[in-house]
Amino acid sequence: MSWYRRTYDWLERRLQLEGPIKDAVLHPVPKSTASWWYVFGSASAVLLVLQVVTGILLALVYSPSASHAWNILQVLNHQVPLGWFLRAMHGWGSNFMVAVVVIHMAQVFLFGAYKFPRELTWIIGVFLLLLTLGMAFTGQVLRFDQDAYWGLAIGASILGRVPWIGGQLVQLMLGGPIINGATLTRFFALHVFILPGTLLVLTGLHVWMVVKLGINEWPMPGRLVRRETYIQEYNELAHKDGLPFFPGAAWKDAYFAAAILLAVAICAAIFGPYGPTGTPDPTIINTVPRPDPPFLWIYTVLSYLPPEMETPFLLIVPPIVIAVLLGLPFVAGVGEKSWWRRPVAVFTVMFLAVCWASFTHLATSTPWSPKMNAWSGSPIPTAFLEHRTPLERQGANVFQEKQCRNCHSIGGSGGERGPALDDVATRLTEDQLIRQVLLGGGNMPAYGSTLSPPETTALVRFLNTLHPNYQPAASDASRAVAEQGGGPPASTVEPGNGQHKTQ
Amino acid sequence: MRRFGLVLLATTALSGCHMPGQPQPGPEVPRPEAVMSFAQLYGENCSGCHGADGRNGSAMELANPLYLAIIDDADLRNIITNGEKGTLMPGFGNAVGGNLTDEQVNALVSGMRAKWAKPNVLSGVTAPAWKASQPGDATRGAAVYAQACARCHGNTPQKPGPAGSILDGSFLALVNDQTIRTIVIAGRDDIGQPDWRNVMPGRALTDAEITDLSAWLIAQTPPHPGHPYPLAPHTR
Ligand code: HEC
Repeated sequence: MSWYRRTYDWLERRLQLEGPIKDAVLHPVPKSTASWWYVFGSASAVLLVLQVVTGILLALVYSPSASHAWNILQVLNHQVPLGWFLRAMHGWGSNFMVAVVVIHMAQVFLFGAYKFPRELTWIIGVFLLLLTLGMAFTGQVLRFDQDAYWGLAIGASILGRVPWIGGQLVQLMLGGPIINGATLTRFFALHVFILPGTLLVLTGLHVWMVVKLGINEWPMPGRLVRRETYIQEYNELAHKDGLPFFPGAAWKDAYFAAAILLAVAICAAIFGPYGPTGTPDPTIINTVPRPDPPFLWIYTVLSYLPPEMETPFLLIVPPIVIAVLLGLPFVAGVGEKSWWRRPVAVFTVMFLAVCWASFTHLATSTPWSPKMNAWSGSPIPTAFLEHRTPLERQGANVFQEKQCRNCHSIGGSGGERGPALDDVATRLTEDQLIRQVLLGGGNMPAYGSTLSPPETTALVRFLNTLHPNYQPAASDASRAVAEQGGGPPASTVEPGNGQHKTQ
Repeated sequence: MRRFGLVLLATTALSGCHMPGQPQPGPEVPRPEAVMSFAQLYGENCSGCHGADGRNGSAMELANPLYLAIIDDADLRNIITNGEKGTLMPGFGNAVGGNLTDEQVNALVSGMRAKWAKPNVLSGVTAPAWKASQPGDATRGAAVYAQACARCHGNTPQKPGPAGSILDGSFLALVNDQTIRTIVIAGRDDIGQPDWRNVMPGRALTDAEITDLSAWLIAQTPPHPGHPYPLAPHTR
């Protein structure tokens, strides 16, 4: 006998793992499960391993100290060989993991795999999703840059709204009343010990149950799940029309996992690591903090909620969502599995996917928040200033200097809080422009007290030029009539070059 | 094939170069006060009014070699830091609530000179000084206006010339005598305003004429400029 055979036997006599592992690996599964649709679960597990490995490597260098964390990421980015790539792998691995876990969940939901007898597998899965999101959030905090700082501030202010115990919760989360060194230590412990520990234990349970209960068969319309007969039916299916899990179904998992890892590596190489953005210094107000991709949609939802809805929404909706997810296998634990017979389920998934995609997309351009440096950094396109009178040019200066541009774009640049003003003069008459500027309204501040009369005049003259050459500016016929005491309209001003409005 | 791709990726990654994702030297987002590049400082703070490359903006053309030749560093620094009273130019210095440190203002001043100044624009000519040395005489200024400006800007606010009125009360209320002086001397070649040598047919304006002209123009500011609804003649 060769030496390795002897070592193996020595170990096996004591560990006795061969039997259970063989059982698990070779157990028969229904042929229909050897499908590309069934690869997301194992891919999540592989990504988890990637995160653990890259995470451990990062932890060798990282230091959870408020004064050092940001600098250490700079060291990793610039001095440690391939440190940036490691950070990028961990960051993109996190994005991919959240995405794959969510896809896995949607697939399980659509395939009815949460039904009897796999209810507990689903419930643990829900907690795995929450833990994965928790890892993504705490990981973003460890970056300890401006995004992290403001992400924490928002998280704390959400917690602070919990009735009665809000204050204590904030204290617990931040390790004090404000974001400080203890906050970072706390999140480090969460991100490195508490959450991943729980995550690994629950993942083990989850996989154990998948092995013990068998992989969900491909749902067929009309093949209903009944508590009395399901197990027997499943075993028949797995033995009569089945194949051993390895290598029958496992090679697809392996290929997909490899492809996902490759995708993570390519994203890491091309897009690089996340931040760190600016230093987490609350005195730097010239910043547009933005959460990491998995949370962008929340950012949009919170931005669009009317202020009085925020607290009820934040405190009521998450518990409801979690309760619905946890309750699902108890409410719909038996019956039809096929998506062909479950239109509500299919439309729910489609609806959520569309909402998620549009909210996330909106969060990348944040049209609801003013662009704070557009006024000084976005020139008015030359075409809008050609052949303008000196007064109209001063009006353009007023427009910029009073920071209208932060909310209103011209020529495609500027804020999107208010409407683009490229052709506002075709919509509003001079009087209406004056009214809008002085009184504001509809989310626009009133400028009556901050604009002097000459500033207002110049500004409105400029706004009045904002119409295409082929389309006249809107004008109010009755004003001309009234000014002339009922006579025929004739202006007191003879227009100069470019000063005339095409009537 | 895939193995080949993996190996390729790994080797490029290990060689550690030419990967688009590799961070550039220096922090991704420097502290605001650490930004020293002229392009970024100008782009974020000035281009909004003075135009993308110092031209064709709504406010003064800064990429104007004549302008840069007549104004000195101290005055530029002062205007950028503290703004220009009586005009829409705000102050950008930390001291007045702006974002820029003294070093950044210096970077702007030297950047403007490096990028836009031309050393020889004034060789062989003496331009009037940027700042007026004595108070102007408004009465004499009226005559200068009629000879030098009226052709393009009209004789009264009600009858503006082809270039639009500069006698309009609101316009005058938003500029000061230095604005007028600067633009009369340096001109704005981006929008067709001639410099001091070419406004008057046949000869250059003198320093005194420019001072008088500015004084007269500013004196034309009405007491309550900018009433949005000028009363119709018969109700006046
Ligand atoms: C805080 C952001 C904000 C700022 C700053 C702001 N606006 Fe607005 N503005 C809005 C919003 C929002 C609307 C849409 C109002 C509505 O829906 O009734 C609007 C509407 C307008 C409209 C009407 C557009 C239309 O198509 O009906 C004009 C004109 C306008 N703003 C001009 C200005 C000017 C001039 C300034 C600077 C003095 C300015 N705004 C500053 C947010 C802003």
